[in-house]
Amino acid sequence: MKIKIDGRRFSAKEGETILNVAKRNKIYIPTLCYHPDLKPQGRCRVCLVEVDGKLVTSCNTKVMDNMEIFTNTKRVKEARKLNIELIYNNHSGEKELEFSVVAKELGIKKSRFEKPKKEIKSPMERDNMKCLLCGRCVQVCGAIQSINNIEFTDRGISTRISTPYDISIKDSACTFCGQCALYCPGNAIRERAYNEKVVRSLMEEMNKIINKKKFIIAQTAPAVRASLGEMFGMKPGTLVTGKMVTALRKLGFDKVFDTDFGADLTIMEEANEFVGRMKEKKNLPLITSCCPAWIKFAEQTFPFLLKNISTCKSPHQMLGAIAKTYYAQKLKLKPKDLMIVSIMPCIAKKFEAQRPEMKISGCNDVDVVLTTREIGRIIKKEKINFTDLRDGEFDDPLGISSGGGAIFGVTGGVMEAALRVAYEILTGKRLKEIDFNQVRGFEGIREADIKIDNKIIKVGVVHGLGNIRKFIESDRWKKYHFIEMMACPGGCIGGGGQPRPTTNEIRKKRMEALYRQDKKMKIRMSNKNPAIKKLYLEFLGEPLGEMSKKLLHTKYKKRKVKYT
Amino acid sequence: MQILRKSNWEGFKKITKMKRKEIINKVKESGLKGRSGSNFLTGLKWELIGKGTRYLICNADEGEPGTFKDKFILENNPQLMIEGIAIASYAMDIHSAFIYLRGEYSYLKPKLEKIIKQSEIYLKKIKLNIEIVPGAGSYLCGEETAILESIEGNRPIVRRKPPYPSESGLNSNPTCINNVETLANIPLIFLGEWDNNLQLFSLSGDLKKPGIYEIELGTKLEHIISCGKPKKELKAVYFGGSGGCLPYEKFKNLRVDEKTISGKGAVLGARSLIAVGKDRNIVDISKTISEFFVHESCGYCTPCREGNFRVLELLDKIKDRKARIIDVKLLEKLAYHISDTSYCALGVSSTTHLKCALKYFKDEFRV
Ligand code: SF4
Repeated sequence: MKIKIDGRRFSAKEGETILNVAKRNKIYIPTLCYHPDLKPQGRCRVCLVEVDGKLVTSCNTKVMDNMEIFTNTKRVKEARKLNIELIYNNHSGEKELEFSVVAKELGIKKSRFEKPKKEIKSPMERDNMKCLLCGRCVQVCGAIQSINNIEFTDRGISTRISTPYDISIKDSACTFCGQCALYCPGNAIRERAYNEKVVRSLMEEMNKIINKKKFIIAQTAPAVRASLGEMFGMKPGTLVTGKMVTALRKLGFDKVFDTDFGADLTIMEEANEFVGRMKEKKNLPLITSCCPAWIKFAEQTFPFLLKNISTCKSPHQMLGAIAKTYYAQKLKLKPKDLMIVSIMPCIAKKFEAQRPEMKISGCNDVDVVLTTREIGRIIKKEKINFTDLRDGEFDDPLGISSGGGAIFGVTGGVMEAALRVAYEILTGKRLKEIDFNQVRGFEGIREADIKIDNKIIKVGVVHGLGNIRKFIESDRWKKYHFIEMMACPGGCIGGGGQPRPTTNEIRKKRMEALYRQDKKMKIRMSNKNPAIKKLYLEFLGEPLGEMSKKLLHTKYKKRKVKYT
Repeated sequence: MQILRKSNWEGFKKITKMKRKEIINKVKESGLKGRSGSNFLTGLKWELIGKGTRYLICNADEGEPGTFKDKFILENNPQLMIEGIAIASYAMDIHSAFIYLRGEYSYLKPKLEKIIKQSEIYLKKIKLNIEIVPGAGSYLCGEETAILESIEGNRPIVRRKPPYPSESGLNSNPTCINNVETLANIPLIFLGEWDNNLQLFSLSGDLKKPGIYEIELGTKLEHIISCGKPKKELKAVYFGGSGGCLPYEKFKNLRVDEKTISGKGAVLGARSLIAVGKDRNIVDISKTISEFFVHESCGYCTPCREGNFRVLELLDKIKDRKARIIDVKLLEKLAYHISDTSYCALGVSSTTHLKCALKYFKDEFRV
């Protein structure tokens, strides 16, 4: 069909919204509550355009043949501005927020409504005073993640977003996947809420610690290198591994290790666990355990699956445990003399790091977890010119990794890395075709039959809690041997701690980056990582051995929360 | 009063001998329009209902300020309404009907249940089940799609149309929603000697005899108001909370119907007239109405939620004589902005009162 926008002719498909057509043709319409991954709501009333003398929201108005649309009239512009002005006082003023960008675009520097609106209290650890009530988080938590832990409550000016019956978030069914925070255009929901230990200014905290003569180690998750650049205006999908390492050194970390190493270690343990369960035909399918939001979800909603979940700790916990033992011994230090800071794309890792099971000789495996967003902010605050940094290299030995560790950050990656190793254990032969393309992709639930030595191994890969719920409740899970679960859409590259904005498009770019990295690596299989080999030789013995069990494995328990 | 006529299922008995199409045509020809203020041709609404399992909802969630005509029917002649529900259900081949009863009217529930019980023989004949659902409390619950959400157990948020409820309503099934007064008039159509122009008016305000009056549409404003016997000289008449106001002296000879009133910038709606004496201050009244909307806005969209809150703030300022000219200008701007850009009809109509007040009583908004 044909339509006209601002006097120019365009063709459009039936069922398309005005906003879609405009976007495709690079016509700017500001938006706030709209997000490409979510259903349009028409709440914020910022994407107004004029049709037939009426103001309509372009995000949820479908085009009609011969429709004539104006995006730029005085009336449109004024109405958009006034709606931004009406919520302007609710925003925090941080420059990079989506809201701030839109406000700036529309030329709004202050609001004519001076007084902040009356205070709204809710026990949720979120800042209602910065909430724009765009409703994205509610949609993400419900329609996408299927947790339905937050909703609009009350009405009129007292409208707020809260948990069922205003219970505290820690008693609630929140899995800490952090997708709500990821979609927030105004920083009202954010990671700070999840961790008392969070470092306000890392430098301040570190100086304190340095006085106590601690040896501070940073480790970075696979997904962080594929997204951190976005915080500094770099294109989604740019790998910034080297710059990230340099920035962390500049911040004063004594060593910078790579969680990819931890991932390789996880694969060694998990692949062996899988082979063992296959042989004994016990507790199959084996389900991956590296995603802490999935673990909490399983503990509270699907406790009958706990025996199927791998007992492996997640990679950063493993690395923490190894650093505080094996590496500390090398330095002739005690576990408590080390401080491990994990830089993660994830908010649930903060929760995970504080689980009582995640300890070795009385010390937490990991002391502090910072998200990609947080470390980005710290780098900015310290005025480090990130884009101009030279590339640095991870430190030895816990900085050496394989391609298998690298792809941990994407949905299907853990599965692929495990299959690479499992193949060799099961067959005793060298794996020639390293890419398992069958498990790659973005489809919410994927499955494949992998042939190893005339045996068919049925594997499933599921990402997004909503898909996971569907997958389990439909009993589909029973027909597999091995399943990978990731709470966040896209896996860790789309994690709750990643830079904003994150969209499915951006997720795919980050994904490609990690596959690129894997392709380029000399060692692509975890069992070929020399540092891993050495670790087993010098310290651990063998996978699933006594030492491994003590340091690298954990257990789960049924968890009671209110209103699942 | 026509609406108090006893029917005792006589109308129903007539229609059971008729074909469905005939019934619908007759209702259409009668010219009966939705009495909630929507003014949509009732017969046409029935005709447009989609296929499959269908529902009927009787909207008894009367919440407009100054409106109490449905209550009058529910108290004084509920049988007529139940019979109307039965006829409508039969005509549309519906077997499940709901009465969405305003929470404040729940004292009427036993009475309604009793009538439903007594009518069993008729209802059984057409296999109709009638269920009373208590209203969820907010003003918005009276909006037809918000009722659907409410009955489904959700937050009452107005649905975007299309799809219209006639296609996809309750639980996504075709649903017809009619108001109490509309349905109560249905049996009368079939009994004959029925006048579509005789409608219920709720009169209140500075009157000696406020109450429900059956008045012919097109009667002069002055004559309507005189039924209620004004206590004093009148300054204005408000049409409920959302219909705005008109200055009384100036328009007392206006023949009141939907078109004449909207021609002057107000909205007749469900025919609730609130008389306002000369001694009253328009800013005070604006404030009261605005408080109502701040309270009742569902909070879904920015202009209605935040805008009405700011309107109230500005009115406070004006009342306290702390406002400046720019404040009044901003108030005016907001009044138009909110109705221009809100998501649903509540927001759109929430500032009609203010637009009228600023049009006819601007001098009272002093700085
Ligand atoms: S206009 Fe907006 S805030 Fe107001 S009642 Fe309708 S949807 Fe809710």
